[in-house]
Amino acid sequence: MDLNMSMVAREASQGLGPGPSLGLNGLPRIAPAKATKKPKKAVLFFEVEILDAKTREKLCFLDKVEPHATIAEIKNLFTKTHPQWYPARQSLRLDPKGKSLKDEDILQKLPVGTTATLYFRDLGAQISWVTVFLTEYAGPLFIYLLFYFRVPFIYGHKYDFTSSRHSVVHLACICHSFHYVKRLLETLFVHRFSHGTMPLRNIFKNCTYYWGFAAWMAYYINHPLYTPPTYGAQQVKLALAIFVICQLGNFSIHMALRDLRPAGSKTRKIPYPTKNPFTWLFLLVSCPNYTYEVGSWIGFAIMTQCLPVALFSLVGFTQMTIWAKGKHRSYLKEFRDYPPLRMPIIPFLL
Amino acid sequence: MAAAAAAAKGNGGGGARAGAGAGAGAAAGEAGGARKKKGPGPLATAYLVIYNVVMTAGWLVIAVGLVRAYLAKGSYHSLYYSIEKPLKFFQTGALLEILHCAVGIVPSSVVLTSFQVMSRVFLIWAVTHSVKEVQSEDSVLLFVIAWTITEIIRYSFYTFSLLNHLPYLIKWARYTLFIVLYPMGVSGELLTIYAALPFVRQAGLYSISLPNKYNFSFDYYAFLILIMISYIPIFPQLYFHMIHQRRKVLSHTEEHKKFE
Repeated sequence: MDLNMSMVAREASQGLGPGPSLGLNGLPRIAPAKATKKPKKAVLFFEVEILDAKTREKLCFLDKVEPHATIAEIKNLFTKTHPQWYPARQSLRLDPKGKSLKDEDILQKLPVGTTATLYFRDLGAQISWVTVFLTEYAGPLFIYLLFYFRVPFIYGHKYDFTSSRHSVVHLACICHSFHYVKRLLETLFVHRFSHGTMPLRNIFKNCTYYWGFAAWMAYYINHPLYTPPTYGAQQVKLALAIFVICQLGNFSIHMALRDLRPAGSKTRKIPYPTKNPFTWLFLLVSCPNYTYEVGSWIGFAIMTQCLPVALFSLVGFTQMTIWAKGKHRSYLKEFRDYPPLRMPIIPFLL
Repeated sequence: MAAAAAAAKGNGGGGARAGAGAGAGAAAGEAGGARKKKGPGPLATAYLVIYNVVMTAGWLVIAVGLVRAYLAKGSYHSLYYSIEKPLKFFQTGALLEILHCAVGIVPSSVVLTSFQVMSRVFLIWAVTHSVKEVQSEDSVLLFVIAWTITEIIRYSFYTFSLLNHLPYLIKWARYTLFIVLYPMGVSGELLTIYAALPFVRQAGLYSISLPNKYNFSFDYYAFLILIMISYIPIFPQLYFHMIHQRRKVLSHTEEHKKFE
C-alpha cells in the first residue's frame, strides 16, 4: 500500500497543473518527493477541519493528517484541543445531519477532498457498557437478598431475619441469584461489545428499571403472607425445568455469539447453529438469546406464581422484541443471504 | 395537571404540534412559521375538522349546561350532576386523539397525547365517578370550568387551523388564558383527589391485599397520594413550557403584523 501511495503522490506532484491551491494555513499541500537514492515515500497529507454540527462554528483545524489516519486517530487529535470532549463522546460525520462515521473508517477512503470537513456532535457524558451492566446486575442480586433475609423495616418487626417456610421461596432465591451471577460473569468474561460506551443517563434509567422491579418482585416472593403455587411441587418442578433449560440456552447463545467475533474486533457475521443443541434455535430466530431470556422469566413466574414477576416478564419481553426486530432488520440489510425462515424472537410468529 | 397537559398538548414538548395537521407552521402555532410540513390528506383533514367541530360543540354544551344549572339552582354547588353525562362522553371521546397521533394524521407524540388524555380520563372515571361522595365538592366545579374553557378554545383553535383561517383572538386566547386556567384546573384536580382519599381508604376501593394466590397487592389510597405528589415535578414543567411557547408564538405574530 505504501508503494502505491508513493506512486500516486509522485504522479500527483508531477501531474498537477499550475501549483496546488494553498491550504488554509497558507502552506503548500503536497510534500514533494525527494530525488535521493533511497526513495523517500511522498505523502499526500490531508487537512481536517472540524465544525460544530449545529452552529457550524469552526472548532478545530488539523493539518498534516496522514491519509490512512482513522477516525479514531482524528478523534484523539481533536481531544487534544478540546480535552472535555474525549473520543467516546465525539460523533464525527460528513454531513451535519448524517450518520456518525465509524472509528475504523480511514480518512482517504472517505468521499472528501484533501481538505476534509467533518461535523462534530457532542454525544454527552459517556459511560462504559461494562460499568453499566455490572451496576445494573449487581443491584438486583443484592436487593433480592435483602428481602430474602427479611432485613428490618421491610416487613413487620416480628418477621425480621426470619426465614420462609415454603421451599419454593428458597428455590426462587437460588434461581434469581444464579441468574444475576451468570449475567455478571458473562459481562466480565463472555460478551464482546461493539460499542465501548453509552450515554451516562442510561445508567440511571436502566438501574431504576432493574433495581425497581427486583425489589417489587422480591417483596412479594419473600413476604410472610406469600402463597405458594396452586399446583404445588408439580408446578415448581415444571417451572424449574423451563428455567434451567432457558438459562443453559441463553448461555449457549452468548458463547456462540462470542465465538463469532474475535477478541478486540468489531466484525459482524451471521450466527449459525453449532454442535450445541441449544444453538439450533438459530434456525428459527435471529435472537435466540432473547427467546431464552423470556423463557427463563416465564419459568420463574410459573415457579413463584407471582403477578409482579409476570408483569416484569411482559415488560422485558416487549423491550427485547423491539431489540430483536431491530437486530433482525440490520441482519437483513447487511447480509443478502440471510436465512429467510428466521423470525426475530418467536419462531414463526414474531 | 390534566388541564395543563391538555392545553400544552397542541404545542407540547419535543416539538409536538397542535391537532392542526394541515401543514403551515403558523397554523401549528410554532414560531418560525414558514416551514412547510406535509399535512394530512383531504379525507383526514375533513374528518379532523368534523372531529374538532363536534368536540367544540360538546364542550359548549357543557358550558351552557353549567350556566343553566347555576341559574336554575341559584347556587354554584353540586353543578356536576347537571353536566355529568356530556362531560363523561366528550372527555372520554378525546381518547380518539391518541389514535389520531398513532395513525399519523396529527403530528403529535403518541406518548405525550396518551399521557394527557389518560390523566383526564383518570380524573373523570377513577376519581370523580368512582367516589360518589366527592361529586358534590366545589373542587369538581373548579376543574370542570377550567377544562371547559380550555377545551372550547383548544378545539376551535384546531378547527380554524385546519381550515387555515385562525383568528388572532383564538390564538391569543389559547396562549394566554392558560395562565389562569392551568393553576385553576390543577387546584381543582388536587383538591378533588384529596377529598376522595378518606372514602377510598374506608371502602378499600380498587385495592387488593395479601394473602392471595397471585401474590400481588395494590393500595389505591397510596397510589392516589403518589399521583398527587407527581404533580409537583410535572406541573411546573408543563406550565413554563406553555409560557415559553407563548412568548415565541405571540411575539412572532406581532412581528408578522408589523410587516403587513
